[in-house]
Amino acid sequence: MKVLNIILNGKAVTAKMGQTILELAREHDVFIPTLCDSPALEAAAMCRLCTVQVIEGKWPKYVTACNFPLRRDAEVVTDSPDVRHGRKLIIELLMARCPTSPELQRLAVDYGCDLERFTPLNDDCVICGLCTRACEAVTGRTLSLAGRGVAIHVDTAFQKASTFCIGCGACVQICPVQKIKMEDVDGERRIILHGKIASRVKLPQCTSCGKYFGPVIDLKQVMERMGEHLIPPPNATVCPECSRRNLAIKLGKRYFEQYGVFEEEGQANAG
Amino acid sequence: MIEATQTAISHPEVAKITSPSGVEVFRKELQSRLDPNAPLIIVCCGTGCQAAGSAEVVDKFKQMLSGTDWNGKVIPLVKPTGCHGFCSRGPLVIIEPQDLFYQQVTVDDVEEIVNKTILNNEVIKKLQYKPANSKEVIPKASDIPYYAKQTRLVLKNIGKVDPTEINDSIVRGSYSALASVLTRMSPQQVIDEVANSKLRGRGGAGFPTGLKWESCARQEGTRYVICNADEGDPGAFMDRSLLEGDPHSVLEGMAICAYAVGSNRGYMYVRAEYPLAVKTLNIAIHQAEALGLLGENIMGTGFDFKVTISTGAGAFICGESSALMASLEGKVGRPRPKYIRSVEKGFRDSPSNLNNVETYANIPDIITNGGEWYKSFGTERSSGTKVFALTGNVYNIGLVEVPMGISLMEIVFGIGGGIPNKRALKGVQTGGPSGGCIPIPHKIPDINVGYGKLAEAGSIMGSGGMIVMDEDTCMIEVSRYFVNFLVEESCGQCTPCREGLIRMREILNRITQGEGREGDVELLTEIGNFTNNFSLCGLGTSAANPVLSTIRYFREEYDAHIRDKKCPSGVCKPLFHYDIDAETCTGCGLCKIKCPVKAITGEKKKTHVIEQALCIKCMECYKNCKFRSVKIM
Repeated sequence: MKVLNIILNGKAVTAKMGQTILELAREHDVFIPTLCDSPALEAAAMCRLCTVQVIEGKWPKYVTACNFPLRRDAEVVTDSPDVRHGRKLIIELLMARCPTSPELQRLAVDYGCDLERFTPLNDDCVICGLCTRACEAVTGRTLSLAGRGVAIHVDTAFQKASTFCIGCGACVQICPVQKIKMEDVDGERRIILHGKIASRVKLPQCTSCGKYFGPVIDLKQVMERMGEHLIPPPNATVCPECSRRNLAIKLGKRYFEQYGVFEEEGQANAG
Repeated sequence: MIEATQTAISHPEVAKITSPSGVEVFRKELQSRLDPNAPLIIVCCGTGCQAAGSAEVVDKFKQMLSGTDWNGKVIPLVKPTGCHGFCSRGPLVIIEPQDLFYQQVTVDDVEEIVNKTILNNEVIKKLQYKPANSKEVIPKASDIPYYAKQTRLVLKNIGKVDPTEINDSIVRGSYSALASVLTRMSPQQVIDEVANSKLRGRGGAGFPTGLKWESCARQEGTRYVICNADEGDPGAFMDRSLLEGDPHSVLEGMAICAYAVGSNRGYMYVRAEYPLAVKTLNIAIHQAEALGLLGENIMGTGFDFKVTISTGAGAFICGESSALMASLEGKVGRPRPKYIRSVEKGFRDSPSNLNNVETYANIPDIITNGGEWYKSFGTERSSGTKVFALTGNVYNIGLVEVPMGISLMEIVFGIGGGIPNKRALKGVQTGGPSGGCIPIPHKIPDINVGYGKLAEAGSIMGSGGMIVMDEDTCMIEVSRYFVNFLVEESCGQCTPCREGLIRMREILNRITQGEGREGDVELLTEIGNFTNNFSLCGLGTSAANPVLSTIRYFREEYDAHIRDKKCPSGVCKPLFHYDIDAETCTGCGLCKIKCPVKAITGEKKKTHVIEQALCIKCMECYKNCKFRSVKIM
């Protein structure tokens, strides 16, 4: 494969054909801030925070490091004053949208942001699209970006509680501003978006302890994917905790029953 | 009664054309059936004229003609055509062979036209065109400066052919370029001819068309030919007129492109707001396929090219090439965040050649007459002609086609007829929401319209919107209008475009409300440059142009709004009031009559006074005062 000669912040390095600038920078311990990037997902280049300057030929141009593929020898500047100025504005603008994010707060200090310049907007989402892309990868389309321009927002189809959701919680876990919440109440898992229930997923009740656990559809999908390695029965009726405890008791009985530590089955379960 | 000769060609009993030479044979045959001296009533049925009632005019003509005793004369044919371009004068009727031009024709005028003009060769004076500031009428369409000063290459058939009748187009040479391409040219020769013409993309960016075709032809696998007819710039309607008035030129251009790049699938992405264009195109494709000029085995040569129409759903952003392709695929119309050109990987991840309607419409002529001929129009770096939609504060509103390099003042005053209501020209906005304002004639005396020159002036060619602004236009309000448009129409996915536009709108709003702060202009410039550099797609990287160009040329107006809290043009209502100048007021009382809220008082022949508390700043007194005594204070 062809090796490319790249000058990364003044240092001569080599890159693989098609490698992104972000990958190259990480290889050489050059830090480029990102918000909407996740190694598990395809780059979306939405937040534009990773913008750098690249010179391929005569003119320097601004490109996003996360998805710009290096295809010929080039010079890359990741931290020029112009780039830093642009990033500072991105952070200031996003902080005005979402002032509570620790990640943004940290960046705001790094880039010397003036947080008084823009009046706060009544919103707490930075439209990074991570949740929608994660959701697309897992379930198809429970969450997606709806609306256009100023009205763009994360939503479910027709603003109704989604029926596609499997309650996996990938959106909750990936959200950089902790905007999406998840709670298990009354035998169902709820994904809460903009303070509104975006989906309800039924939870099975443990036949042993009575607790609710794992979303039904989620479990079903896991089972399906396990195929021939299917260990638990398709209709899981015992929660993971009880199942672990039951296994421990079974093993314990095998090894320690001779010492008379086990009394009644009922008592051990109650403990 | 002698049957009208033209009707004969309307009902062809011709089977499919099975060889490229068959097109010429068919054309000659159609032509031999035509009588050049036969009377013909051409009625413009473009969207503008239809809105003004031209469809009823056509019906009335047809009804009148069938009910008249012709006494052995040839019955004239009524021909509905596409947009003639002179929309502010519609509905337009042209009587051939005399080339008589009638404007603003209503159903009630039809009887008179038939009885006087058609039957007795008498001219109806009240329907004739009179230029501004002139008492002399101009009887012939071709003598009207608006038409005479244009160079109509792309628009040559519009207003002459019935777009729903393919034979009418074939008589005027449609599909003969395709026939000659299929017989005597290799794909590479076609590309070379287009490259030689130096034709550049008419959608706005001005990418050399030959180069684009060449790089698409180099790719492997299935290739697609796509026509971008998602014309969304406010006030622009060049593409719509082409599709409605001469769809076969566009289709022929696409077929030639398909042959050159090695494709047999074409898509036409038309915005849903153009129902007439979609209807006309459907008819055109159907008729061309029936004649074997499109579809499978074109002209018996084995070359297939199928065109499918796809309609948009009202998103401006879908005019951006990658968003358009996403929308064609059935996905959300958002630009694709990939640094890979669509000629390599576009629609369905296949090489796709996307051009604008007008670009394709130029192709047949380039093939027929050669690239050298095309280059003889326009300038060294911008060859050929360009169609502009001339709107705003100008006497003649409509479509104009001019050679590149023409002076902008000539367009406004020569073709456009100047500024109405004795106002002065302040500037011209080109390129729609991505373009900028050019401050002719005060700050820049004039400019030669071309890709490079417009870019130097901080604007762009764009798809051809051209808004003329007079002295009563507030430049801050203009940029606020465009920013407002883009705030809604941006796709919203990338931070600089979305947030930048929201903030620019916020700042412009407060400036026009009289709450502008010191440093606002600097902040606008900062955000504007940032948005233009950091955004994801073409919309974002040009979104700040209206703001930046007005700051560049009209900084003093921004300062007047912010520092003096005054809107010198009298547009931003909180920032001005009207006063009547005692020295020039004659006391004619016109303003008093016009005032809808009775805020003006005064006796006859004495200076009138405006009661400020009552005034709603509706502009009626200002507009109507014959002595310009109403002043903006």
